[in-house]
Amino acid sequence: MPVVGTDAVLEVRGLQKHFGGLYALSGLDMDVRRGEIVSVIGPNGAGKSTLFNVITGIYEPDAGDIRYGDASIVGLRPHQVVKLGIARTFQNVRLFANMTILENAMVGQHCRSRGGVFGSILRTPGVRAEEERIRERAKEALSFFGKRLSGYRLEQPAFSLSYANRRRLEMARALATDPQLLLLDEPTAGMNPRETLELRDHIVRMRDELGLTVIVIEHDMRVVKGVSDRVVACDYGQKIAEGTYDEVAHDERVIEAYLGTKAND
Amino acid sequence: MAASRWVRMGAAAGVVTIFLALVGLIGGFTDVYLIGDQITFAGLMLVLPAFAAGLVAAAPRVEGGERHEMRFVEAITAAAVAGAAAGAVFGATMILADVIGVERIRTVFLNVSPQLMEFVTFGQATLVGAVIIVVMSTVAGVLGGALRVAPTSVRRPVTVAVMATLLFGFLQRVIPIALDQLKLERDWLYSVSFDGLTWIGAIVVGAVAAGVSVLKGRFGTQLRGRVAGIRGRTGPAVSPGVLVAGVFALALLIAAPMLLGSVISEVLGTVMVFALLGIGLNIVVGYAGLLDLGYVFFFALGAYSLALLTGATLNAYGIPPDPAISGHLNFYVAIPIVMLIAAAAGVLVGAPVLRLRGDYLALVTLGLGEMVTVLVGSPWLVPLVGGPSGMRGITDAAIGGLAFRDPQRFYYLALAFVGLAAFISWRLATSRIGRAWTAMREDEQTADAMGISTTRFKLLAFSIGGAIGSLGGALFAVKIGSLTPASFQVLVSIQVLGLVILGGMGSIPGVLVGALVLVGLPGLLREFEEYRFLAYGAAVVAVMVLRPQGLVPNVRRSRELQDEERAQDEWAKAAEEGETPPEIATATGATT
Repeated sequence: MPVVGTDAVLEVRGLQKHFGGLYALSGLDMDVRRGEIVSVIGPNGAGKSTLFNVITGIYEPDAGDIRYGDASIVGLRPHQVVKLGIARTFQNVRLFANMTILENAMVGQHCRSRGGVFGSILRTPGVRAEEERIRERAKEALSFFGKRLSGYRLEQPAFSLSYANRRRLEMARALATDPQLLLLDEPTAGMNPRETLELRDHIVRMRDELGLTVIVIEHDMRVVKGVSDRVVACDYGQKIAEGTYDEVAHDERVIEAYLGTKAND
Repeated sequence: MAASRWVRMGAAAGVVTIFLALVGLIGGFTDVYLIGDQITFAGLMLVLPAFAAGLVAAAPRVEGGERHEMRFVEAITAAAVAGAAAGAVFGATMILADVIGVERIRTVFLNVSPQLMEFVTFGQATLVGAVIIVVMSTVAGVLGGALRVAPTSVRRPVTVAVMATLLFGFLQRVIPIALDQLKLERDWLYSVSFDGLTWIGAIVVGAVAAGVSVLKGRFGTQLRGRVAGIRGRTGPAVSPGVLVAGVFALALLIAAPMLLGSVISEVLGTVMVFALLGIGLNIVVGYAGLLDLGYVFFFALGAYSLALLTGATLNAYGIPPDPAISGHLNFYVAIPIVMLIAAAAGVLVGAPVLRLRGDYLALVTLGLGEMVTVLVGSPWLVPLVGGPSGMRGITDAAIGGLAFRDPQRFYYLALAFVGLAAFISWRLATSRIGRAWTAMREDEQTADAMGISTTRFKLLAFSIGGAIGSLGGALFAVKIGSLTPASFQVLVSIQVLGLVILGGMGSIPGVLVGALVLVGLPGLLREFEEYRFLAYGAAVVAVMVLRPQGLVPNVRRSRELQDEERAQDEWAKAAEEGETPPEIATATGATT
């Protein structure tokens, strides 16, 4: 049974989502408490990315509820979910390739700003100040990754970045939305071991320095071990185990999900 | 192996030449002189395909990711073979035509006239003429090939010089008028008896153009660097070339009607109306990435609502002249109302349609545009808009007795509105709203997931673009003073889209250039009126193949791309050598 903390920021209850006959999520329960890093693990097709897509409003669930803070966020559009403070990255990096790095991050601040048509045409002092604030906030978000995304790179188009830097930029863009809850979908996929270790530290810093709550889908067990306060293991759209890394890593159902059962069982 | 490729290219060029002859672009223009009494438009058309074939045949080939530069001799041979092949195909066709008989062919292809045969055979026997054609085409091909393999320091000035000379030749109805107005001597530049450039004029124009090109190549980068240094760290600097060109263009825009007289001002007025439409559609297509093929909807809406608001009368017989709805507002009071109506219509029409994407959106908007044409001409709306016979007596936008129907004055009215629309468009593009549009165009779903309400911003683009389009319609109504459904065909949508694509999507100067090329040139070169749509198609295809970013692309971005590539290369090289990558200051002036 899920651990129901009084300080849970995100409560997922009996979440179901199917595509035709395929049940990507079949009654998933999950809780996330403020300020913790939760890893979601599971074999391919376990429904991890679908979970993110349902939380962020890209898909609407067929049944079940998601409560964020005090309210249900089921049925909200993605941009409304972001505004509430839930930001995400994508499994396959999705940047605005022809916009500059700074512009990419500035898009993140969109939901925290309000400059309208007439203000923008007349460039009123209010709008100008806001634009300056957006720029500063975007630079601040980019500087989370040190010099990798700052300096002369600010004005480079995103497509010119290396693969690892694209992943970092995607995270910086998510940070620029001023989130409280950050969903990272396989942040280290395709990174080399050194970059992976570096990113592991970054995820921990997101919790410790920025005070974020983080849910991370990850396949690299060193990262999972290094960052997780808790680990949730899924298979066939359901939670099969939950606990500390060591507990989950030795759970029989988890081992079975990854390695299969013995032939003579 | 290679030779057969060259021959194929040449043959294709030959077929193009035949096509040009069949549609009348050669036979009909034997007396349009560009330079002296030797170089005519027809002559140019006759050798241009062979020249192009030489250019292409000598181009480096990319095979399996490897670039094969051709050696000089090989390139020239290739170009000569291609040119000769082009000439051979055309020459053979000439002989064939002679055998069949020109009069017989003429019953099918109206443009194959004895005059055409006379021209392409140079007054000789057909066989001799064909040989001359082959020789000429070979020479043209070799010239093309030579230009292709020449170093950039030669190729660029030569190309610029030739283009400038031809442009001056084409503008033989425009530039002399301006020179007369300025009381400048013109007879040395333009021939009195042949209308085209004199040889001396051609040489001067070519030399000046080449000189400017060389100077720009030598000092442009230096100057740009210096300007960037002065501007410091405030962001990408405008290159001096762009600055000078901009100031010059602006001065020209303001002085044009006074220099060029009322006939050409009339054409320029139309150009401005289309520029206005282009700026509006550019917001929808260029910024927000929504393919709208029914933009004529807003054009018609603007024209007719202005007519109704300012008290125009119906043109139809047998019914009272007053429309069912009629206001008697001043033009300048009516304009904001027209724009509001269009913006509201944009939201109403857009709301159900904008959920569609790409091709589907294009199809539905195409239908919407067609509906407008049908509606304004339908008997059902006769009491409101006069049906097929339309409306007349539209306001002349007078300010205290100063009317704007006169072409020269209208031009300034239109120019003022173009300036206003360009300003609005520029401010929006460089704001939070423009950023949201760009993000949405790049990846709609991700934009949504990053907090942008895509529905809202699509509607915004649609209605702002619509409002500016309606402004174009209103000005159009003022310009011609009466309205008929014939002015509101689907072709308007296509024309406006064509000029946006030609100029470069997302670029405001591009829209102006596009309007000037697609609307202005056909208007100035009356002889080519018939070939307008052929030229449209060719121009749009050529741009899509050769320069997908458009003639005047979004300057900042395209320049950045080149600089960034260089910075990336240096970075990569340094990293390979195991050094710490240097912080590279790019030429755009963005330093750490």
